Amino acid sequence: MISQFFVLSQRGDNIVFRDYRGEVPKGSAEIFFRKVKFWEDGGLEEAPPVFNVDGVNYFHVKVVGLLFVATTRVNISPSFVFELLQRIARVIKDYLGILNEDSLRKNFVLVYELLDEVIDFGYVQTTSTELLKSYVFNEPLVIDAARLSPLGPAAIFSQGTKRMPGIAVTKSVVATEPGGRRREEIFVDIIEKISLTFSSSGYILTSEIDGTIQMKSYLTGNPEIRLALNEDLSIGRSQGPVSGYRSSSGSGAVILDDCNFHESVRLDSFDTNRTLSLIPPDGEFPVMNYRMTQAFKPPFRINALIEETGSLKAEVFLKVSAEFASSITANTIKVQMPLPKYTTRVSFELEPGATGQTTDFKETNKRLEWSLKKITGGSEHTLRAKLTFSQESHGNITKESGPVSMTFTIPMYNVSQLQVKYLQIGKKSGTHDPYRWVRYVTQANSYVARI
Amino acid sequence: MSRNDSKYFSTTKKGEIPELKEELNSQYKDKRKDAVKKVIAAMTVGKDVSSLFTDVVNCMQTENLELKKLVYLYLINYAKSQPDLAILAVNTFVKDSQDPNPLIRALAVRTMGCIRVDKITEYLCDPLQRCLKDDDPYVRKTAAICVAKLYDINAELVEDRGFLESLKDLISDNNPMVVANAVAALAEIQDNSSRPIFEITSHTLSKLLTALNECTEWGQVFILDALSRYKASDAREAENIVERVTPRLQHANCAVVLSAVKMILQQMELITSTDVVRNLCKKMAPPLVTLLSAEPEIQYVALRNINLIVQRRPTILAHEIKVFFCKYNDPIYVKMEKLEIMIKLASDRNIDQVLLEFKEYATEVDVDFVRKAVRAIGRCAIKLERAAERCISVLLELIKIKVNYVVQEAIIVIKDIFRRYPNTYESIIATLCESLDTLDEPEAKASMIWIIGEYAERIDNADELLESFLESFPEEPALVQLQLLTATVKLFLKKPTEGPQQMIQVVLNNATMETDNPDLRDRAYIYWRLLSTDPEAAKDVVLAEKPVITDDSNNLEPSLLDELLVNIATLSSVYHKPPDAFVTRAHSSAQKTEDDDYPEGSESESSANPANGPASPPTSSYTIPASVAPASPPFAAPVPDLLGDLMGMDNSSLVPIDQPTTPSGPPLPILLPASTGQGLQISAQLTRRDGQVFYSMLFENNSQVPLDGFMIQFNKNTFGLAAAGPLQIPQLQPGTSARTLLPMVMFQNMSQGPPSSVLQVALKNNQQPVWYFNDKILFHVFFTEDGRMERATFLETWRSLPDSNEVSKDFPSIVIGGVDATVELLATSNIFFIAKRKNANQDVFYFSAKMPRGIPLLIELTTVVGNPGVKCAIKTPSPEMSQFLFEAIETLLRS
Repeated sequence: MISQFFVLSQRGDNIVFRDYRGEVPKGSAEIFFRKVKFWEDGGLEEAPPVFNVDGVNYFHVKVVGLLFVATTRVNISPSFVFELLQRIARVIKDYLGILNEDSLRKNFVLVYELLDEVIDFGYVQTTSTELLKSYVFNEPLVIDAARLSPLGPAAIFSQGTKRMPGIAVTKSVVATEPGGRRREEIFVDIIEKISLTFSSSGYILTSEIDGTIQMKSYLTGNPEIRLALNEDLSIGRSQGPVSGYRSSSGSGAVILDDCNFHESVRLDSFDTNRTLSLIPPDGEFPVMNYRMTQAFKPPFRINALIEETGSLKAEVFLKVSAEFASSITANTIKVQMPLPKYTTRVSFELEPGATGQTTDFKETNKRLEWSLKKITGGSEHTLRAKLTFSQESHGNITKESGPVSMTFTIPMYNVSQLQVKYLQIGKKSGTHDPYRWVRYVTQANSYVARI
Repeated sequence: MSRNDSKYFSTTKKGEIPELKEELNSQYKDKRKDAVKKVIAAMTVGKDVSSLFTDVVNCMQTENLELKKLVYLYLINYAKSQPDLAILAVNTFVKDSQDPNPLIRALAVRTMGCIRVDKITEYLCDPLQRCLKDDDPYVRKTAAICVAKLYDINAELVEDRGFLESLKDLISDNNPMVVANAVAALAEIQDNSSRPIFEITSHTLSKLLTALNECTEWGQVFILDALSRYKASDAREAENIVERVTPRLQHANCAVVLSAVKMILQQMELITSTDVVRNLCKKMAPPLVTLLSAEPEIQYVALRNINLIVQRRPTILAHEIKVFFCKYNDPIYVKMEKLEIMIKLASDRNIDQVLLEFKEYATEVDVDFVRKAVRAIGRCAIKLERAAERCISVLLELIKIKVNYVVQEAIIVIKDIFRRYPNTYESIIATLCESLDTLDEPEAKASMIWIIGEYAERIDNADELLESFLESFPEEPALVQLQLLTATVKLFLKKPTEGPQQMIQVVLNNATMETDNPDLRDRAYIYWRLLSTDPEAAKDVVLAEKPVITDDSNNLEPSLLDELLVNIATLSSVYHKPPDAFVTRAHSSAQKTEDDDYPEGSESESSANPANGPASPPTSSYTIPASVAPASPPFAAPVPDLLGDLMGMDNSSLVPIDQPTTPSGPPLPILLPASTGQGLQISAQLTRRDGQVFYSMLFENNSQVPLDGFMIQFNKNTFGLAAAGPLQIPQLQPGTSARTLLPMVMFQNMSQGPPSSVLQVALKNNQQPVWYFNDKILFHVFFTEDGRMERATFLETWRSLPDSNEVSKDFPSIVIGGVDATVELLATSNIFFIAKRKNANQDVFYFSAKMPRGIPLLIELTTVVGNPGVKCAIKTPSPEMSQFLFEAIETLLRS
């Protein structure tokens, strides 16, 4: 069980503080903050997520720049606490619509009420927004969402595509819309984060997809939802490396290495026809998480070259090729490359007519940054950069620069080919069809090319 | 707080407390509610609003749940400081616990349990009893936790009132939430009780396994953790349990997955069928890997646990090494753990892939990570013999980049590789030596020095290389000093030539005189003794074949590993420390625990990898039996000229006892007569032999008991005389005597006071009190052998010194008889005859001598040969010594 839960701002101010057991000495928040701020143990510059000071164990996660912290004196399950901290953040967000310092302060009474229902004497009672609704009576004071950036993976939908009602994901599950009646809608998001490493010669060394089917329901009457996935979906990869290469446009079974499901999901017909059925609780939750190491066609190829062009000079050449359909556009692309430490100046040369691209040389960490607002499928973009060095490079220039890393978001695209074939709402509430949003997005997690 | 903050935080001119008081007593419900909110707001920012206690409690009687909750929150906070007032609330609590609304019943019992006031606790029992049997599961599950609260306040009360039985009944409740809370409460009570309270029988087991499927995710963790204490009776039962638990691996909640893994691992110990075990391993791998897709905090927990799991069952993830490759955006604490696991999973099959990764990491930006990557390469080399060569070539490649910290880490691991594969890869030493100048970290320096010493015979300029380190010996950290000492000894044993001889003198000198570090000093003494007693034995010891080191990546003690595996999915498995190393139950908040010296969990790195890198220098493994070590001399004894006793065994200072050490000359003066020394008589005198000052001593035991354990110490004195080594006197039987020549050094423990020739000596043995006696320092023992001057030099020196440096003294009663005899006599004390001239009827003799540190001394003796009266004039750059010089000359001329 946990002893205390608290939320600190980035500056270390107490925003929320709840002591459940009175067994941790006063000042724990301060002790914690000082320790995290000036961490110096074990050669690490960053505090590990859990540590012990004077017999008190401190757990923390960072959520939208806030520190969510729990303390305990006992040999508790740490993953339990981390899950809990994340879940508390999610519940609060479900209630407040937007989670930040401002909304927490404004709704402190509600937050305390929630915390008392979520945890009793350090024991978690429930983190289900749905269940909590019957015990929690305070109304949220929703703060102005327009000027705030929303939280969570679904936030990516608020940008780029016009179809997505971005505001929807930032609305509270309990507060009523200003217009009076709630809009009946349900969001199903297939979010895939891909990690991929290209070797210096362009081979794919490792590739992995971490996927989540996320759901957020604003349906009244708790209807049952049926979610059908690819019929040829199979789970469990035979051990050993996967052989064979599968193009993302070709056919072939989707093979998941592993997957898991939200507790509300019933798998009765999953084995026969790959259909999940559930009565979605209120709030945002992952219906299913999955992981794939099956080879996939990388959305981007990266070519990176660095060459010495003189005694104190070198040139970097970067090329990014979008290998997906031209109907699809990736956005917020950022390419980064660490340069040799003795780099003093960088001059950039973008391709002629380039728009929406910016370049920068971060002096402090000697990093080249290249941002592109969007890349349409099938296109290629290049960047040349001339480097000036303060010392000779000893011919190790490739070892002292790179790897090139890339972040991007590609809406309406998923590399795994996992699909929601249909989304069926059991019994209709109201007269008209609720809005159903099924959205796909692919994001880079660790997308790296070595040089 | 920003401007947008809630109105509840605003203050008014009137004064907050009176204003709130007024509002709390308002006739309007809404106003009262707002007021309570304001009170709570003030409370949460640390303001003292306890003076409003009665006013707030007055708001308690309301049907409005929102308001009631706020009042309860206030009560929990202030009841402790206002116990008498809190009693006022009891009636409402008791009433509320019977409210038709289950939420109010539960709220009342939940809140009462949180108020740690004895008087309230008394009133809690009846409502609690009722609530444990309430119709509503929400009330029952709240009551279950309340029993744990009450136990924390008053365990006896819980047992007396039979609450434990009620709790146990709740295990069979039809609501899984109630079951989960009952299990959690019972588990906590069991943890705090020495009596068996919550024993899991096969009956409870099956009930709980059934409840598992219905429970919330959190309840599943409570139940799984409680069940993990259950010991299955046989393999069959274990298999059954595992079968019921395995579906939990598919849960989205990582805590459920890890608790399930724990349970399965524990039952697997009982399962005998290898097929079943293999199958289970196969089932556990994907969920374990999936944990690495969770938030970094959970990844960290998973990695620390996987680290333990693969130590016990390496096959589970043998094929999954790729998932442990670091992502560039992993937090550093995740990367570090991944590296550890990569080393553990590295095999001949995947080493090329792994090396490629490590090489890449070794050129990243984060210095700590880079260092760890370099070490990882070394550890793989040590672990996988067939891959060692490939690892080394990667290391050499990295050295060539010439990034300072990479080079240093590489050298540290290469030293380990040399120890693992002796006589295999020494060809790379030359490459290593190129980087010598760039080493500035102690561990790297120490490693390089170790390599030089170990392979001194193969490195042509080993002596030069070592010498370059010697200059800074006194400033080096202890780690480096120890290695320098050992390496120099090795060098000397392998190449006993002049260079190394001098070096060893310097090193031993430094290591014994210039240091406060007892380890260094003791090690130096051991070497010194070894070398001086038996150089061959020294070779056998110092150059002995070292045990080959092994792979340290499975580095937990088996017993610790066992204990940690039992604690999988707990903090213990993250810290890699047994629970009792960090768990201290502190009851009641006021109590501050005294466990300040408990190590912090986060540094488990060090405890997890005690052998990670050569924290202890490799040569420190020459554990020399304690009995050989010198009996820790209580003084910092220096070694002036060890070569004498190291090499030239002919003039050893360790003169056999039965051999007369002062073959001629007068007997030694008695300094401690037997009458004073309880039968121990000591005669002693400073003497010079073969360029070295000795303290010639004679011990005579006239007492009735054998005497042993002699030790000597000299007080600070003008010349800084001190013993150069321990006193070597064997046990003295009654009636026997022993002589010794104790080597002495100068300028060691100089006294700051006025010059004096007194030498205070303290001597002890095991049987008697400490004896103190005084000796007189005769300066002529300090005249060095090279004091002879050419006439021209003499004249030049004489002239160059100002007249103020000339001092003279008359010795009226001394007669110089024979000139030749006198010249010869003085020459034995290193006073050398230069010239003689006649001045009227007087003879004038000129002599030269040299004092330590090369200070010249010019002497002019004027006398009429055969007649009493000698005038002695001396000229020296150090005229302050004249007093001692005259004393010395007078003594010599008289003898």
